[in-house]
Amino acid sequence: MLIHEVLVVGGGLAGLMAALTASEKSDVAVLSKVYPTRSHSGAAQGGFNAVLGEDDSIAAHIFDTVKGSDYLGDQDAIEVLCSEGPELILELEHMGVLWNRNPGGGLAQRSLGGAGFPRACFAADVSGHVVLHTLFEKALESGVKVYPEWHLLELLFEGEQIAGALVYDLARAKLEIIRCKVVILATGGYGRAFAKTTNAYANTGDGMAIAYRAGALLSDMEFVQFHPTTLFGTNILISEAARGEGGYLRNKDGERFMARYAPQKMELAPRDLVSRAIFKEIKEGRGVEGKYVHLDLTHLGEELLQQRLPQVKDLAARYAGIDAAWTPIPIEPAQHYSMGGVRTDIWGMTSIPGLLAAGEVANVSVHGANRLGGNSLLETVVFGRRAGQTAVRFAEKQPWASLSPADVTPYLEPWDSLLAGKAQGKQDDSPFKIQQEATLLMTRQVGVFRDGPGLEDAVKRMAELKERYKKLIPPAGKQPYNYGLIHYLELGYLLDLCELIAGGALRRTESRGAHFRLDCPWRDDRNWLCHTISRQGERCPEFSDGPVSVTLYIPQERGY
Amino acid sequence: MSLSLKISRFNPEVDREPYFQEFRVEMAGCQTVLDVLMEAWRQDPGLSFRRSCRSAICGSCGVTINGVPRLACQTLIREIAGHNGRITIQPLPHFRQLKDLVVDLEPFFDSLKAIVPWLITRWDHDGCMAPEVSRRMEGLASCILCGVCDAAFSNPGGTKPAAFVKGLRLAQDPRDVLNEARLHVMQVPPVILKLFIKKMPLVCPKKIKIPEI
Repeated sequence: MLIHEVLVVGGGLAGLMAALTASEKSDVAVLSKVYPTRSHSGAAQGGFNAVLGEDDSIAAHIFDTVKGSDYLGDQDAIEVLCSEGPELILELEHMGVLWNRNPGGGLAQRSLGGAGFPRACFAADVSGHVVLHTLFEKALESGVKVYPEWHLLELLFEGEQIAGALVYDLARAKLEIIRCKVVILATGGYGRAFAKTTNAYANTGDGMAIAYRAGALLSDMEFVQFHPTTLFGTNILISEAARGEGGYLRNKDGERFMARYAPQKMELAPRDLVSRAIFKEIKEGRGVEGKYVHLDLTHLGEELLQQRLPQVKDLAARYAGIDAAWTPIPIEPAQHYSMGGVRTDIWGMTSIPGLLAAGEVANVSVHGANRLGGNSLLETVVFGRRAGQTAVRFAEKQPWASLSPADVTPYLEPWDSLLAGKAQGKQDDSPFKIQQEATLLMTRQVGVFRDGPGLEDAVKRMAELKERYKKLIPPAGKQPYNYGLIHYLELGYLLDLCELIAGGALRRTESRGAHFRLDCPWRDDRNWLCHTISRQGERCPEFSDGPVSVTLYIPQERGY
Repeated sequence: MSLSLKISRFNPEVDREPYFQEFRVEMAGCQTVLDVLMEAWRQDPGLSFRRSCRSAICGSCGVTINGVPRLACQTLIREIAGHNGRITIQPLPHFRQLKDLVVDLEPFFDSLKAIVPWLITRWDHDGCMAPEVSRRMEGLASCILCGVCDAAFSNPGGTKPAAFVKGLRLAQDPRDVLNEARLHVMQVPPVILKLFIKKMPLVCPKKIKIPEI
């Protein structure tokens, strides 16, 4: 049995920030399914929003975020996000982050969608990568213990209180118990629930599903962000920074079609709006080859692309065979980010004492129904730090749960027998088949455009897929690096989350932010200005409404 | 196109030494070797290899493809499959093979620690930096710690290429207390340095160039 006061699950930006903060006063370990530098935070490109310029203001950042969220974001949480941003950006600068600079030596900032001011600090178009590696360096310095390629399987309780975690070491194919007082979930999103996603293979929503199974409340799961500009076919992310630096979206006639949908903000309207506009163009016959639209960077010049968007240029060259300086890039929207997640307060505490969450896994909620570009990276460090602080306070006053071997046995037994099982026999069904069907269903029926009958069908078919999943023979066997077993477990997490996403979307009979229903295309504040709270019921999820924090900004029409 | 794969298999629990398993897959030339591996995995879920982002930013999928260490996700099939459509995939050389294409990364990450791989910020740093100074470090800072350079060439007993890149990036940072003193600590003899400078841009997936120092 291993012992740490605080166990952080996930080694991306939120996890490392939480671990670094907590390590000042507590014994902390980071458990991560990949080596921390390989976390998906590193794929974030555009930047971190923070108010630095004198012409900008915290109030403006708050307002942009509230409006971007289609008034579903909790305004108390958004105030925290926007006011704690600037000092954290400067702190990261002191840690060694290589931000882009303006001629005076201060931090350069660029425009991202839905913002009234260029307020995203950035490191070319590899912002997430540069900050992730800097935090990793600091974690090495601080001596935080890292368990790389270890998987969280289950949370352990003594009564209502967190007592530890049951984990799996992929390299040794062994179960371990880690005793702890606090678990901080920083496991990111579930992009792999969709057939078309920008997300990494690792993004399977493990933390969200494990918290849900342990009885934690989740919220707003129906709000899924679809990024407008991903490479047609492979869905590799092409940063919003490409439009922030002046890129245009064009249909098959070469027309900048955003003029029809967001005449003021044009290409820099929020992502929900741009993704819908692209699909509408395609549906109405103005897509290129009937399938995609163009992201045109050809007027920006080779030098700007090289300096500000080198990764975009590389990705387009490698995966689309295109020189973006001379040829427009074929793009289509794809799943990108989860607004919903494990419900937390503004200190990262979930509905379970001792269980905290920060970053994409959490729903605090700063993004509401639609996230603005540059706000998720900011969220990871702001609420990662807060979770670290909360963990220290909680651990100081909380006595250790006893967690005797007798307490642990009932948790261990099913997993032991799973691992000890014989190699799988022949079966007609497979995790690959089920995942393919589930993810196609999500992209087709729970995607950018949804409607009642489609959602109802999705919920029904998801339940059938879950039944098929239960009948699978787990790919057991004790060999090291058993990715077959991991895939089987991850699929189980994804199916649970798909059920919540589709179920929440069916229940919410309005359109708000990224949740758009063709059969109820209007926002309905009278009935739906509320969070969707979900919890595990006996046979299926139970949904209820939760209040939204409205402090300064009364909901109004959202035009761009 | 139809591809015939040879993938190195090794399970320490049962195999005394690695052997090749053959797979046949159908792929388009614009797909990547990672797509090939994912298809092979569907055929045999017992096959182990690391992967995650599929866009050359996480650095997980370093393997040896037809004898050359590179990232699977960054290698297009049409670049490497000749007329016969044969692809051989092995683990990275100079790393210990743990299972199939998975290698031991602990020595690699440990090798970083020797160079004090973090910024020790000067007390008088005021938060400013000239853009051209910052830009000079950008190339080195784009390292994704994939380990491909360490697999391609070595510095026996001395600082390894990836650790050297990180050390060099910090040595150029005006915010750092150690700054250029780092160069003396790292102990890369001139002849090895020449090798690094020559070889790095040829093998690095991020095309990092080591500047003359």
